[in-house]
Amino acid sequence: MNAIQELYALQEARGHLRDEDLRALSERSRIPLYELQAVASFYPHFRRTPPPPIRVGVCRDLSCHQRGGPRAADRIASLCAGREDVEFQEISCPGLCDRAPACLVNDVPAASEQVEGYLADPDSIPGLAGIAPATPRRWESDPYQTNDDRYGELRLLAESREYDAAIARLAGSGLRGMGGAGFPTGRKWELVRKEPGGSKYVVCNADESEPGAFKDRVILEELPHLVIEGMALAALCVGAERGWAYIRHEYEAPRVALQRAIDDAYQRGVLGENVCGSGRRFDLQIFVSPGGYILGEETALLEALEGRRGEPRNKPPFPGVVGLHGRPTLINNVETLASVPRVLRTGSADLKFFSVSGDVNQPGVVEAPLGIPLRELVKRCGGMRGGVEIGAFLPGGASSGFLPGDRADVAMDWESLRQADTALGAGAVVVIGAGADLLDLGRNLTAFFRNESCGKCVPCRIGTEKAVILIDEGGEKSLALLPELDEAMRETSICGLGQIALTPVLSILKHFPSYRTKGTTS
Amino acid sequence: MSVRLSIDGREVEVAPGTTIWDAARQAGIEIPTLCHDPGLEPVGVCRMCVVEVEGARVMAASCVRMADPGMLVHTASEKVERCRRVLTELLMSEQPGVSPKEETTGDDDLFALARRYDVKARFPGGNPRPKDASSPVIAVDHQACILCDRCIRACDDVQHNDVIGRTGKGYTARISFDLDQGMGESSCVSCGECVAACPTGALTNRPLSAPIQARERLEAVDTVCPYCGVGCALTYHVDRKSNRVAFVDGRESPGNQGRLCVKGRYGFDFASHPHRLTRPLIRVDYPKRALSPEVQSSTRRKRKPGGIVDYDQVMPAFREASWDEALDLVARRLLEIRERSGPGSLAGFGSAKCSNEEAYLFQKLIRAVFGTNNVDHCTRLCHASSVAALLQMIGSGAVTTTYGDIQNADVALITGTNTTSNHPVAATFFKEAARKGTKLIVVDPRRSGISNHAWRFCQIRSGTDVAFYNGMMNIILAEGLADEAYIALHTTGFEEVQRTVASYTPDRVSGICGISVETLREVSIAYGSAHAALTFWGMGMSQHVHGTDNCRCIISLALMTGNIGRPGTGLHPLRGQNNVQGASDAGLIPMSYPGYQPVTSDTARTRFEAAWGACLDERSGLTSVEILEGARDGIIKGMYMLGENPFLSEPNVNEVRKGTHEPGIPGGAGHLSHRDGGVRRRGTAGHHRPGKNRHVHQHRPARSGGSPGARASRRSPPRLEDHLRDWNPHGLPHGVRLGQ
Repeated sequence: MNAIQELYALQEARGHLRDEDLRALSERSRIPLYELQAVASFYPHFRRTPPPPIRVGVCRDLSCHQRGGPRAADRIASLCAGREDVEFQEISCPGLCDRAPACLVNDVPAASEQVEGYLADPDSIPGLAGIAPATPRRWESDPYQTNDDRYGELRLLAESREYDAAIARLAGSGLRGMGGAGFPTGRKWELVRKEPGGSKYVVCNADESEPGAFKDRVILEELPHLVIEGMALAALCVGAERGWAYIRHEYEAPRVALQRAIDDAYQRGVLGENVCGSGRRFDLQIFVSPGGYILGEETALLEALEGRRGEPRNKPPFPGVVGLHGRPTLINNVETLASVPRVLRTGSADLKFFSVSGDVNQPGVVEAPLGIPLRELVKRCGGMRGGVEIGAFLPGGASSGFLPGDRADVAMDWESLRQADTALGAGAVVVIGAGADLLDLGRNLTAFFRNESCGKCVPCRIGTEKAVILIDEGGEKSLALLPELDEAMRETSICGLGQIALTPVLSILKHFPSYRTKGTTS
Repeated sequence: MSVRLSIDGREVEVAPGTTIWDAARQAGIEIPTLCHDPGLEPVGVCRMCVVEVEGARVMAASCVRMADPGMLVHTASEKVERCRRVLTELLMSEQPGVSPKEETTGDDDLFALARRYDVKARFPGGNPRPKDASSPVIAVDHQACILCDRCIRACDDVQHNDVIGRTGKGYTARISFDLDQGMGESSCVSCGECVAACPTGALTNRPLSAPIQARERLEAVDTVCPYCGVGCALTYHVDRKSNRVAFVDGRESPGNQGRLCVKGRYGFDFASHPHRLTRPLIRVDYPKRALSPEVQSSTRRKRKPGGIVDYDQVMPAFREASWDEALDLVARRLLEIRERSGPGSLAGFGSAKCSNEEAYLFQKLIRAVFGTNNVDHCTRLCHASSVAALLQMIGSGAVTTTYGDIQNADVALITGTNTTSNHPVAATFFKEAARKGTKLIVVDPRRSGISNHAWRFCQIRSGTDVAFYNGMMNIILAEGLADEAYIALHTTGFEEVQRTVASYTPDRVSGICGISVETLREVSIAYGSAHAALTFWGMGMSQHVHGTDNCRCIISLALMTGNIGRPGTGLHPLRGQNNVQGASDAGLIPMSYPGYQPVTSDTARTRFEAAWGACLDERSGLTSVEILEGARDGIIKGMYMLGENPFLSEPNVNEVRKGTHEPGIPGGAGHLSHRDGGVRRRGTAGHHRPGKNRHVHQHRPARSGGSPGARASRRSPPRLEDHLRDWNPHGLPHGVRLGQ
């Protein structure tokens, strides 16, 4: 019995999780009450109180914060105040940084200007069922010109069955994990392939939740067949028969697109008992995350798939050896998997999807060669808002360090950014115009990590909280504690969240030393 | 094959699968930790045990990281110590100013670390968190909780009570009970395992009879729990000034492995109850009705009979007396009765609460001095039928294995026992085995706690046990699952069993027991084909008019399948009182001398007459039920009771009252005022008793003859003030002498 699945079903039926229903569930399923409580209280999707008719969420994270989020939140909060039929919440990044400040009304994305109208006329609020995926555009990463061409690489591999050669080709291309960590993809596949037989699993990590990151949303909506093909290729190579796409619950349109593509793939014989005539079975299903950035951490994701609190596991062992239900599990990011068909065809992994948001005129997803200078990316996004200079930028999302605007010519690739003491990460580029209060943005990111810390280990659970207070206190004495705190968090936290939580704020104090004494009272 | 690595410059060689923390410990290096306890699965959440591993990107939590060949580990480098200090500072910034643990037992691990690192308050303080005082025995202070998850593992993985978990997320996460209720409102059974596991002041014992102080300021008395037959080893921490127990720790032993239940951990305050008698009392008033209206109204069902009556209503019927006066009176009256009506008009009730020594002396008193075998105790109402069946069928009236042996069984039949309530610590091992894959077949007309852990729960109709097990045997024989080699080598009378069970077809049994044929087949085949199957039973089996038959059935079942005498197999009647086994062994039963030597055997009688220098009655004595019927019918005219309360233990209280009210006899020794009786004096509370018990956790070969020695002995119990110990000797040192 999977507690998360059970709670989903219960909430679906009743609107919220009532005590008496949980008790009955516990009796029926033999899942102890404490475990139901532990799971239900961990995930934001689950609620213990009846939902009011209107639920408004306004994003509080970086890109939205930089583009009028706090003002929008204040305005909407005051509209909601006193209305019993409305629940107002500031929410963590829903992956709509290109529509900042992003809002959700009854889980449906909305522009902040629309919210007032919805509040005035609740009947006009669209239902979740009406959400339709975006119309696909043409992307260079898609090696197929027509619908019929799709899954061509998979058919070739199914016929040749030269799995080692395919993995070698991936390794040779230099393809790396696009979820942020940049682990060489070929090597990862090789590791799982080498594990002795029995059940193995392939998981697509579609839990994109980092402030500034939304490229996977676009890939899932517009190129879902590439994700499926990447997973099927992986399954053949490593010897897996089952796979899951773990997708965040806010990504309803991408989920619909992916589900349609999965249905189509079964129709075509791409999925199912005989993948493209390979003689091998591969079944793929979607698991909707009940919420939280931490679930993007691969072992937390596995915990959720197994129905528990999404708390990262101690590593080693890594999922490639001991993964889902203790079995070797290959976990790749959406973009990584979607890149595989083209990489197998061309042998080259030279393209990258960048999510660009912040103070650019046309925030959005840009597909560009790896190594493109940041300045060029900004140009492709219509230049800077109001023509201001680039003040600073995050090249790789919330978990990379800021670079000052004068480094805007840096090549956006793994090595160049590493040398610049930051990271390509998930390619979530957030550009900040000159004149912004950067320490405030550093605080915002630190608060994001505090909000999203799972709380499992001491350094992250308490460290992120203390860091936010220290930044709020400001001044030399408080801020001087951050490097020491950072060392303890970096060295002793279980997972990446705690390890890098203070990276952005410390990068600001490094590149913009004037902030170190800001707020100091003499 | 072993793993060689270097820890702080020392070459260490350990077995594969050893953690760095354990490897360091083997090398004599202690790595500090808060969340780790060698008795629990490591979780690596406090991160205090981090070490540097050369070449690694970040530090490793040594409690969860396996030692790898060639590792170069530094457990106390400057950087490691710096990180540990910051972690300690972070934790301390959230703590209450005063730790509830420092104030009581004084062993708060976090505060000790704070002293070690000389922590100053550099980080801002935390948000206040609530206290939870809803449990009568455990104080919860969420502010002092560091979320080390030790209580969670103690509750869920050790005791398998499944109450404590984490709730919420991130900084606001905390421990919670069930659906985030107060501890006292949750399904918590107050076993206190969480308190024992907690390294900080988050979970502490509430004082029950004496203030809780640091262990070194109290006297530690290692002893054995006075409650049930599981016989958990424990340590009483005694406040010598008030001569009271302050708190209890579970003690490591093969049986309980340090675990306790609510009774052992918190059930000690009765010893200092104000109603405890400190001087002998002599009955002066015999009104027609019972002394307490609660008893008078019991027939009108206002209140369930049994329990402690109103002290103030009872006491006026008694007057205090000196020991000499009381004992002289008892001795004189008992002798008078013997003179007038013969030895057979006297009887004695001992108790399964007695030590072996007390039981032995008591039955000797009744047999050698009173001159009758009318001596019995509550085993009659408990496992006497099990003992009879076991003696008859395998020649030994005791368990053949330990309850911990369940870990070696692939199937365990648990029947007629509410073990989670009656033997909670044994039940933890059952639940643990179930989690690890042992199939529990629970057979009971009543759904009790253990059935929630069952692989199959067979809710048979009450009283249909014989049919059920005959049905199982029928299927096992039909399926060819009987162990023919074992039957041939070790049993007699198999053909008769075969004939008997032949008519118990699945359909017929299903009809009798109210259980589906499929379930009956499933459990029969599971038991029959198990490599090792164990059987536990309780009074749901024995307390029937056909209790002995019930037990014979499950013994036959075990013998037929060869499930005896190997690891993970055997027969295990779960005994109720702490020394019900020892009391029976010591001869506190009407038909046997010590060691189950029949009183009707001339050889045995001659041997005991020689040893005791007295003439012994050659007839078997009356059982406890017969004694009380005898009292009612005027056959029994005088009784001496030690630590037994027939008003609680006998099946029909009204009959008991009829019997005991009239004769004006009983000389009683008990802790608290029961409802009736002539002369009463204070009994010795279990943890005041010196002496030995015999428990169900016995390590011995299944078929060895004779009684194994007592497993646990006690030393230096808390001092008694103004009353005699029960065995001195049985309150009758005066007057009653042989041959008078």
